[in-house]
Amino acid sequence: MTITMNRDMNDGPPSDELRALMRATSDGDMQAFETLYGRTSGKLYGICLRLLGNEAEAQDVLQDTYVRVWQKSASFDGDKASPITWLAIVARNKAIDRLRQRVPVSEDVNAADDIADGGLSAIEVIENRQDSERLAGCLEELEERTRDLIRAAFLDGATYPELAERQGVPLGTMKSWIRRGLQRLRGCLER
Amino acid sequence: MSDDRRDMDDRNILAGEHALGILAGDELRRARDLDASDAGFRADVERWIGRFATFFDDVAAVEPPQDLWSRIAAVASPIRVSDNVVALRRKVSLWRGSALGMTGIAAALALFLLFRPPAPIPVQPAPAEPMVAVLGDAQEAKVVASWDPDRRQLVMAISGKLSGDQAHSHELWVIPSGGKPVSLGTLSGADQSHVRLADALAQLLQQGATIAITVEPRGGSPTGGPTGPVVASGQLKPA
Repeated sequence: MTITMNRDMNDGPPSDELRALMRATSDGDMQAFETLYGRTSGKLYGICLRLLGNEAEAQDVLQDTYVRVWQKSASFDGDKASPITWLAIVARNKAIDRLRQRVPVSEDVNAADDIADGGLSAIEVIENRQDSERLAGCLEELEERTRDLIRAAFLDGATYPELAERQGVPLGTMKSWIRRGLQRLRGCLER
Repeated sequence: MSDDRRDMDDRNILAGEHALGILAGDELRRARDLDASDAGFRADVERWIGRFATFFDDVAAVEPPQDLWSRIAAVASPIRVSDNVVALRRKVSLWRGSALGMTGIAAALALFLLFRPPAPIPVQPAPAEPMVAVLGDAQEAKVVASWDPDRRQLVMAISGKLSGDQAHSHELWVIPSGGKPVSLGTLSGADQSHVRLADALAQLLQQGATIAITVEPRGGSPTGGPTGPVVASGQLKPA
């Protein structure tokens, strides 16, 4: 599969500039790192706030995120994803780890432990330009309810048990809604 | 649809669920096992994440507080002192509430380790096993020092408040069995800190060595040895 990616997030800084900053950061250039922080921290802070719902934790996670970026920027693969997406995923994964440590919600007791050590610690992401361009249209084809649930899972960090409770439906119902939604989404993207 | 095809299909959807972070329990375990063992599954997860990343467009940027950058820079910037004998890269990470059952997350403050030229240090075999010291003397605070020899990293986790005041610093020491205290720097109040030690210092962290915290004049002991009261100390033992 050919993977190309140049999509910028709306209103974000241009990818090329961020790519250069990421490269310099991975070489240990603190000034570039500071500029990278200045260009991207607002977006990442917004993501952390949305997931965690409070400033203190969001700031802690944001700090963790950039320390991780400082350490790991060399592993950023510009062919697989745009810098802002990679950064956003690092922030989201850190925030989700924090969220899971805070709230032990699970179908069984062991699950919380499982998640606590980093359920989504991988920071790899593959963006496909075609997928990205089509996604909005494909999301439109989903039922509004399903679309909102998928968005809530991704942006709010909600799990199946939480979503089921929030909607007042059995767990199995929630799973089948989401799974059907993902199948339709994939079907649409592959058309 | 053949069984194989259906199985592939199910796994791709599981990858999507894992990318969403929506799974719990046995399903999460299964997804994580596959993620660790199956490159095809992992690529599916990565692709799904790339798709969902479009949702980030919906999130408005919010300006973080001004002082956050200085906190990050303090942690990230490498420090080299005294003829490369001691090279320290400070890594302060967040206090993870569950580790010691602490509630509330303090603003993570930078940990400052102010290094002076160290005394000559006898060379010993490098310690190979992880060790931990519980510093139990403090009345209002519990301190756990964990030593990871592979990463040459000392993690100091402090819950509660060490006695002291603004005019003084807390200084961290290692006291080799039968030896003199060697400073590991001063602490400035972070709840948890990850300190990477140079080889010369790492070799002092042997079983039976004592980790101690003293109250010193602001900025650290002026003499190179401890001058103030010990507020916490404990011996390193195999973890």
